[in-house]
Amino acid sequence: MNVRSQVSMVFHLDKCIGCHTCSIACKNIWTDRKGTEYMWWNNVETKPGTGFPTRWEDQERYKGGWEKKNGDLQLRSQNKSSALFNIFHNPNQPTLDDYYEPWTYDYQNLFNAPEGADQPTAKPISMVTGEYINVEAGPNWDDDLGGSPVYAQNDPNLESLTPEQREQLFATERLVFFYFPRICNHCLNPSCVAACPSGALYKRGEDGIVLLDQKRCRGWRACVAACPYKKTYFNWSTGKSEKCILCFPRLETGQAPACFHSCVGRIRYLGVLLYDAARIEEVAKLPDDQLIEGQRSLILDPFDPEVIAAARASGVHDSVIESAQKSPVYQFVKVWKLALPPHLEYRTFPMLFYVPPMSPVMASQDGGVIDHVSGDLFHDIEQSRVPVAYLAKLLGAGQENKVRYALRKQKAVRWYRRALTVGDVTMEVASRMLAEADCSAEEAEAIYQLTSLCTFEDRFVIPPMHREEAIQMMEDPLEHKASAGFGFVSAPHRGM
Amino acid sequence: MLDWITGKGFRNSLTPRVCAMVALLIGTAAAQQDAGTFFKQNCTSCHTIGGGRLTGPDLKDVGSRRDRAWLVQFLQSPKAMIDSGDLYATKLQQEARGVVMPNIAGMNPQQAQALVDMISTESKLPRSQFAGMQISDRPLTDQDIAKGRLVFLGEQQLSGGGPACISCHTVKGLTLLGGGRLGPDLTRVYERLQGRKGLAAWLSSPASPTMAPVFKDHAIQPEEVLSLVALFEDSAKRGGQDDTTSLLNFFLLGVGGMVLGLISLDALWKTRFRGVRRSMVHKNDRGEG
Repeated sequence: MNVRSQVSMVFHLDKCIGCHTCSIACKNIWTDRKGTEYMWWNNVETKPGTGFPTRWEDQERYKGGWEKKNGDLQLRSQNKSSALFNIFHNPNQPTLDDYYEPWTYDYQNLFNAPEGADQPTAKPISMVTGEYINVEAGPNWDDDLGGSPVYAQNDPNLESLTPEQREQLFATERLVFFYFPRICNHCLNPSCVAACPSGALYKRGEDGIVLLDQKRCRGWRACVAACPYKKTYFNWSTGKSEKCILCFPRLETGQAPACFHSCVGRIRYLGVLLYDAARIEEVAKLPDDQLIEGQRSLILDPFDPEVIAAARASGVHDSVIESAQKSPVYQFVKVWKLALPPHLEYRTFPMLFYVPPMSPVMASQDGGVIDHVSGDLFHDIEQSRVPVAYLAKLLGAGQENKVRYALRKQKAVRWYRRALTVGDVTMEVASRMLAEADCSAEEAEAIYQLTSLCTFEDRFVIPPMHREEAIQMMEDPLEHKASAGFGFVSAPHRGM
Repeated sequence: MLDWITGKGFRNSLTPRVCAMVALLIGTAAAQQDAGTFFKQNCTSCHTIGGGRLTGPDLKDVGSRRDRAWLVQFLQSPKAMIDSGDLYATKLQQEARGVVMPNIAGMNPQQAQALVDMISTESKLPRSQFAGMQISDRPLTDQDIAKGRLVFLGEQQLSGGGPACISCHTVKGLTLLGGGRLGPDLTRVYERLQGRKGLAAWLSSPASPTMAPVFKDHAIQPEEVLSLVALFEDSAKRGGQDDTTSLLNFFLLGVGGMVLGLISLDALWKTRFRGVRRSMVHKNDRGEG
């Protein structure tokens, strides 16, 4: 057992209102520089939809993540020899068009236009070339199913549905969508780190944040191809790649990352998980249908004395273990099993988990009466407008039962609270639902508390980062002892 | 104390003057000593002393043909002399079939004086060291041509250590793509330099501004000169014109190579990522979605 700590995340999709405040908070802090205009370290996608970059989930073309070959785990984008062969021409790069060409507007024209019969307009100008452009796509072109029906219908996750289900999904009365906010998943088995020929990417030892060293990056862009979530981006101005840093300067000072802090729907949770690094490879080779359980088995119980002892032995600070015990993420992922990793079949083991969203039931109109009730208490999970198969493709590595479990439990908690506060459902029915959903009354209460009444302190349990100790992994703190301060720009010497 | 200071002051004021004088003396001596070497490096490709004319006239007893002042003036700027309408200079140009003697780098009045002195001294000798190289008159064989070919192409290194001819020159029909294009085409050089003697003299001491510094310390040896002469004689006999077609071939080969290269690169990365969004949207526009 090799116990490490990881700052992990849960996004509660049932609470996301798709306001994009997170994206703007991130953009204003990190990616408003030249060369980063097109990057969205945090973006919010509408599902069904093609996302950003377009159809990023189509790994047949983007070649991101890992695949199992001859019982071994290999990058889809490259192996050692092909990486060397393609070093000056990486064939799996997304084009700027698949992201979008960032633009601003020619606002000066509003003031300087010569007098004419019409109001002057501000034409769009490319932020890459400075030329006028005809805007064809944006990072959220299909927001709220906008843009055109082309985008939603080309969602790769729809492959899991039957033609009938697909048709229903886009029927006007049954139309449905939900939001899918994305940041870097800070994976346990990051393919971007594995792909980098320069060794510029690394997973920070003390908290598992995946970072990209700007000094070592040589701009080969192997990480851009290898990340299946397309969350490393190439800065065309500096010639280096960049990615989400989980706002580590904020975390180190005890603040939640900007996108977490600004979240209007309070959908984001952050906390430490302890995991067993020794078993990652073994678990990553499991067949698809065992991956979710496999990843859960990597996450260790922070109350288990054996785990605590092992964590101490591998240098995890007591305060971090204590923080792991209070982690909301541990509750959502391991205890309640409500939160699921996105596209685990890429085998990078994302450490950002999603609570699948509830959706309205399919309504059927019968002689002017809208009918959506049946005897089965959980009917509306099978009948919900977002098919379970779709959610399973997105969040369950294809395993519908894992998604169904999370949805049923959420529904049971709702009915339990309804019995308590509204009273139109008897507690007997609610208790039966809880029992069927593998949930006790205490657990339901805890889920309710952390979902609906959570404070800042409940949502963000930020461990003390102990940089002063973590730095010892990289540098010798006594390196400059008995030398002068921080060193000299040019060393002094005798004489004139 | 005072003596020391004065002494120092004395030495200080004297030293630069002494140095300047010594430098001047050494300089003059060097210039005089150099007249022979200077002649060898700059003049022998066109002139002999008692060896008959090459491109330029034989300089034996030149002092009796023109006076010293004329000679010194001519040496410093032959072209200016011809342009001024000097009859003798014009006659010389005609005799050389229009070739104008170039201005020689490093030529100055002292050097010219020294040269004139040296030439008159050499003229009195029964046989001057500058009587021209004694190139064999024997008929040139196919073997000589083959050896010349090796030397020209650099397959056999020049024993003096100089670079192979092909790095700057070309001869038609010798190689597929021709040789270098920095120097002139040598297909008909045998005719331009009027045969074996002129060509051999040039090769023994190439005097052009490009070749001189390269071959100054890496002279081509007489047996190599003979082989090269054989090669050039052969190529002139074949009657080929200067090689212009190979330039076009070279260009066409470049274009063809580029096209072929691009096609093979396209094939090599056939499965590369070509963009998703545009094709997706346009496919739908065409009604195939």
